[in-house]
Amino acid sequence: MTDPASASGTAATLQVEDLHKSFGDLEVLKGVSMSAREGDVVSLIGSSGSGKSTFLRCINLLELPTAGVIRLSGEEVKFKGSGPNRVPADKKQVARLRSQLGMVFQSFNLWQHMTVLQNVMEGQVQVLGVPKAEARARAEAILERVGLYDKRAQYPAFLSGGQQQRAAIARAVAMEPKVMLFDEPTSALDPELVGEVLKVIRGLAEEGRTMILVTHEMRFARDVSSEVVYLHEGRVEERGAPDEIFTHPKSERFAAFIQNTH
Amino acid sequence: MENALELLALSPPGWGGNLLRGLWSTFQIALGAYILGLALGLFGAFGKIYGGPVLRGVLTVYTTVIRAVPELVLILLLYYLGTDLLNMALTSMGFERMDISGLWAGIYVIGFVQGAYSTEVLRGAFHAVPFGQIEAARAIGMSAFTAHWRIILPAMIPFALPGLANLWLIATKETALLAVVGFSELALETKQAAGATKAYFMFYLAAGALYLMLSLASTGVFALVERRFRRGQPSQS
Repeated sequence: MTDPASASGTAATLQVEDLHKSFGDLEVLKGVSMSAREGDVVSLIGSSGSGKSTFLRCINLLELPTAGVIRLSGEEVKFKGSGPNRVPADKKQVARLRSQLGMVFQSFNLWQHMTVLQNVMEGQVQVLGVPKAEARARAEAILERVGLYDKRAQYPAFLSGGQQQRAAIARAVAMEPKVMLFDEPTSALDPELVGEVLKVIRGLAEEGRTMILVTHEMRFARDVSSEVVYLHEGRVEERGAPDEIFTHPKSERFAAFIQNTH
Repeated sequence: MENALELLALSPPGWGGNLLRGLWSTFQIALGAYILGLALGLFGAFGKIYGGPVLRGVLTVYTTVIRAVPELVLILLLYYLGTDLLNMALTSMGFERMDISGLWAGIYVIGFVQGAYSTEVLRGAFHAVPFGQIEAARAIGMSAFTAHWRIILPAMIPFALPGLANLWLIATKETALLAVVGFSELALETKQAAGATKAYFMFYLAAGALYLMLSLASTGVFALVERRFRRGQPSQS
């Protein structure tokens, strides 16, 4: 890591500093920082309730952080107010930054009234203003890559969970986001469908996409990540290169965590 | 029997033409009122969901009162109150009093009643849309307007359609209540025909058949619409 004092000088694509989030009296995040440069794959791991999903959802403001700084390509998210009354100051900025943060949900959240192809075209056309023909061509190429070209005219409810999640990944990729956010992308899947989704995510990692990944798949996190961040009760307990921290864990809690999940 | 068919003939001395004209009025009022009701319902539903305390309060009074008072009373009340208020406004601004056409009065009165029910149907449909669909729209960077127009409204329709189909059928039948304020829709035309010829049974039977035809045709149309909007959902059968 570079010297934190010169952090603004580094080319961090995504930078989060000292993020706090409370739900009422319950403080879920107690000051979490991270940064990802282009091509980094950062995995957030931890037991349920550690705050890892909340942290991810704060990055694209699906949850509003009560304090902390978020920067995407150096552009800081503007807030007004403080604490529970802290809200984004500029809705247009929020929409624009969200369009650059491709989110993949645990429960897919494909739009049920649209075909797979329409799902993948929708953001391009409605948010980015891409002409329909171009959006269609791009959507078809991406669906081809995730192995769903043949299913493009289907409605999501007729697909398996693994197919739906691959379609949801295609929808996020079609926006050509600067950073992709994965919120436990395989947790809602039957075990035999996990592999096909991980394969797609691995492919994206290998082509150099910047990704933040909340996951329970330890082996996968170890394989694809450039950095692994272990959260415990809203704080970073341990972080580092996967080969290092998995083989030489410093904190006892993290050592116990990997013992239990392996 | 021959006598009966003569009475139903389309041109005088038969009364069939009057009945059909009445049916056409009924249809026009029902359609206008339904569209007005839908517009009020959309405004009411989103007002209840996103509005401040004042707007929500006003809308709650609207839906509660309208749904609590019998339709016949509402129609009398709204008809006379509405026309009186309009004429008071006109005269105070120095215009002549005007006779409001029965068609527009009927549309306004029944539409206002329908709006209260539509509000609740659409509000329920909104809450039936899985929240993840809305989150996905926000996460991809849609503005609030785009998210509603492209994602939320289309996702609401399958949940709203059964209730909205009911409201349409109710609208067609509610038009009959306009007979009490002297508007010649199907019910009043029937009453006049029956009174003039004393063939009560036959004319009311004919009117019943016409209402039934209207409702069967509507059911068919709604089934088509519903099939179209449910195309993304596996059949439950």
